[in-house]
Amino acid sequence: VSDAFGIPSVSVVIPVKDGERYLEELLASLARDGVDEILVIDSGSHDRSLEIVRAAGVELLEIEPGEFGHGRTRNLGAQRTSGELICFLTQDATPCPGWLGAYREAFALDERVGAAYGPHLPRGDTSPMIARELTEFFAGFEQKETAAAGENGAAGHHIHAPVVQRQGDATFLSNVNACYSRACWEEIRFREIAYSEDQAFGADLLEAGWRKVYQPAAAVLHAHDYGAMEFMRRYFDEYRGLHESTGHIEPFGVLDTARSVRAAVAGDRRWAAEQGLSGAERARWTARSAVHHGGRRVFSALGSRAGRLPAPVRGRLSLEGRDDRVAAKANPDSAVSPDSAPSISPVPPTTHMPPKRDHDDYEEVARFWREGPAPLLDPVPGMADRERLRLALVIPSFRRGSGGHNTLLQIFSRLEQRGHLCSVWLYDFTGQHNAEWPAVIRSDIREFFAPIEGPVYKGFDQWQGADVAIATGWQTVHPTLMLDQCRARAYIVNDHEPEFYAASTEREMAEDTYRHDLHCIAASPWLRDLLIERYDTSADAFQLGVDHNLYQPQPVTRRKDTVIYYARHVTPRRAVPVGLMALAELHRRRPDLRIVLFGDEGKLESPFPYEHLGVLTPPQLATLYSEATVGLCLSLTNFSLMPKEMLACGLPCVELEGVSAESIFGSDGPLELASLDPRAIAGALERLLDDPEHWERRSREGIEFVASHTWEHATDEVEAGLRHALREREQAE
Amino acid sequence: MSAAETSSDQQLQAEVERLRARVTALESELVEVQDRANTAVAEWQERAYWLDRWHLDLNALMRKPGAAQLRGALRGIRAVTRAFRLAKRRLRP
Repeated sequence: VSDAFGIPSVSVVIPVKDGERYLEELLASLARDGVDEILVIDSGSHDRSLEIVRAAGVELLEIEPGEFGHGRTRNLGAQRTSGELICFLTQDATPCPGWLGAYREAFALDERVGAAYGPHLPRGDTSPMIARELTEFFAGFEQKETAAAGENGAAGHHIHAPVVQRQGDATFLSNVNACYSRACWEEIRFREIAYSEDQAFGADLLEAGWRKVYQPAAAVLHAHDYGAMEFMRRYFDEYRGLHESTGHIEPFGVLDTARSVRAAVAGDRRWAAEQGLSGAERARWTARSAVHHGGRRVFSALGSRAGRLPAPVRGRLSLEGRDDRVAAKANPDSAVSPDSAPSISPVPPTTHMPPKRDHDDYEEVARFWREGPAPLLDPVPGMADRERLRLALVIPSFRRGSGGHNTLLQIFSRLEQRGHLCSVWLYDFTGQHNAEWPAVIRSDIREFFAPIEGPVYKGFDQWQGADVAIATGWQTVHPTLMLDQCRARAYIVNDHEPEFYAASTEREMAEDTYRHDLHCIAASPWLRDLLIERYDTSADAFQLGVDHNLYQPQPVTRRKDTVIYYARHVTPRRAVPVGLMALAELHRRRPDLRIVLFGDEGKLESPFPYEHLGVLTPPQLATLYSEATVGLCLSLTNFSLMPKEMLACGLPCVELEGVSAESIFGSDGPLELASLDPRAIAGALERLLDDPEHWERRSREGIEFVASHTWEHATDEVEAGLRHALREREQAE
Repeated sequence: MSAAETSSDQQLQAEVERLRARVTALESELVEVQDRANTAVAEWQERAYWLDRWHLDLNALMRKPGAAQLRGALRGIRAVTRAFRLAKRRLRP
């Protein structure tokens, strides 16, 4: 079946039913390419399809509509043809020039190539939304050229060359446009299942040790375009099917939807601009794109919840007109292979998930595990004692009000004021700042946290080296370890972050960050000791500072009946259930007591009445602390700034004993300590409420104690820690 | 230890000191250069806030078809306006 030059012969099989729209164009294209054999299998067309096929002079096989099956009919087509390569096209896929040669080239790449497939290009009248989706979907199979060494984080670009896929790679295969070696088809054959026979073949082929090739040059023009409403109803059906086969419920939230629609519309607009669409056309498609993506979100959410809708509504929303509650039963004859034993449950149809993201959350960690840290520069004698250090602070994504970022930037801005060269590098691993450009990020940092003067970079494309590269949140550690041109690296540890997670990937990765010889600068002696004992790492400590200009007793009357509680229940380490039980106990003992909860916008349900304040600004907090009687703030890990700020305003505060607070304040210091027991906490609160002398002593001692806890002092300690990191490098040499 | 060895040690020591001084000077120079670069980038980020906020890349904008012509037209209008103002000023008594 190969010719004298060893070029394999090619048969093309096209299943058809009412396909007149593109059939003529398709057959003409195949004739132009010079395929050896064409077989059209018609399953009951009522339009001009048969006439077109006969006029083109290609072989026609007519079957009854009931005999059609996606896998069965294609197996039949393969049996009835003789080419060494068998191509399958759908009736609306027109091969582009070079299609046939490209497939032959794909099979010459490796003798174990069993199948190849090419991209589906949008036709001229395809909407930008579908055109972009198709283009990006297939681009996901292409190889990306990796960034050159030193260009950290630089995005690669696609190489339009065939890609050989092996076991473990994507199983995707599409009979809209695919080609199979006869030897492979004879071994695997299409499963006679209701849907996705091509996907199943792709998985079976790789499992059997064959390879497949994505060949970008073997393209066809093919796109399904519907009206806006048809699209939405189609998504309804698709997600109903997904729910029926996998139980998937599509999440839906108004804000999330708005964000994702905004991003998708921006993507479509960008794509339309790249395609050279005029302003008026872009405006028209923008509106359509918003409807398309918005409708998609709504209808996919509805589809996956179709069982909860009344049958007439389901029927109206479905493009297929289905109003039943469960999946339509597949024809048992076509759903199960005749060879299957009756006791074997057939695998449900798979749902192919195209690549939706251009990176994985933790791919930098994986890259670090693969490649290891970048080597440090040789130490220079005396570098630890230089007046001006080049410091690069790597921070994770942030939001307004982030306490950890506030600590880092309060200190960093003061290091800058002392003459050090400071730059901030945002490692946005969550993509939260995708839509923000660096000048905006810098402005936000200045507004939310501290007025830094240096530059802010997003990613590491412009990395220029540093005396000390400083990792902060655990997510920043692995990228920081891969930064080159550094004399030393340090790690400002605000908390023992593995404790934020249950057994999980995140917990393991967070623990891993302490095992790479980074010099740690911990935000309390307790945390420093924990790092040294548990991870055998070198570590210093610093004390969190207080902004004494803001947090001091305000000129307001202090009430005698108010307990305030930092009830941030979205943060599990705040032990809010225990705090609530303690306040319930206190309420039983003192029903007239006024209880105020703050720190979270969500209102908690409790067995006692309370006043809800939500999230407050720092000046509002200073006033609240100045008029309340007693504060309650619990932390199961490293203590936070809040108790210090309460004390600075003269407000006695109850915290947990035996945890980090004790390492700062001592067991009989200004804080009232209690065990993690609701009755003990209620007792501690009551002691302060009942005994004015005790209250006065705690209030006075608190103000005195935190007077020396300033950001200047914290900066001294962190600076010493950074110099320590450099000194350790000198000594190591 | 012979006089020759002592002299060689001293020379070596002097060379080490000279190299250390050179490294220190180079390090200082690096700090100065990076200081200037940091300042320049930070100043630019300060000035470019609204461009970044509105995702405006002027280079990309000016590469668009018609942008050069629009710019040329604006320059023409500005030249005419300036000429007109100049003439008005000259004609003023």
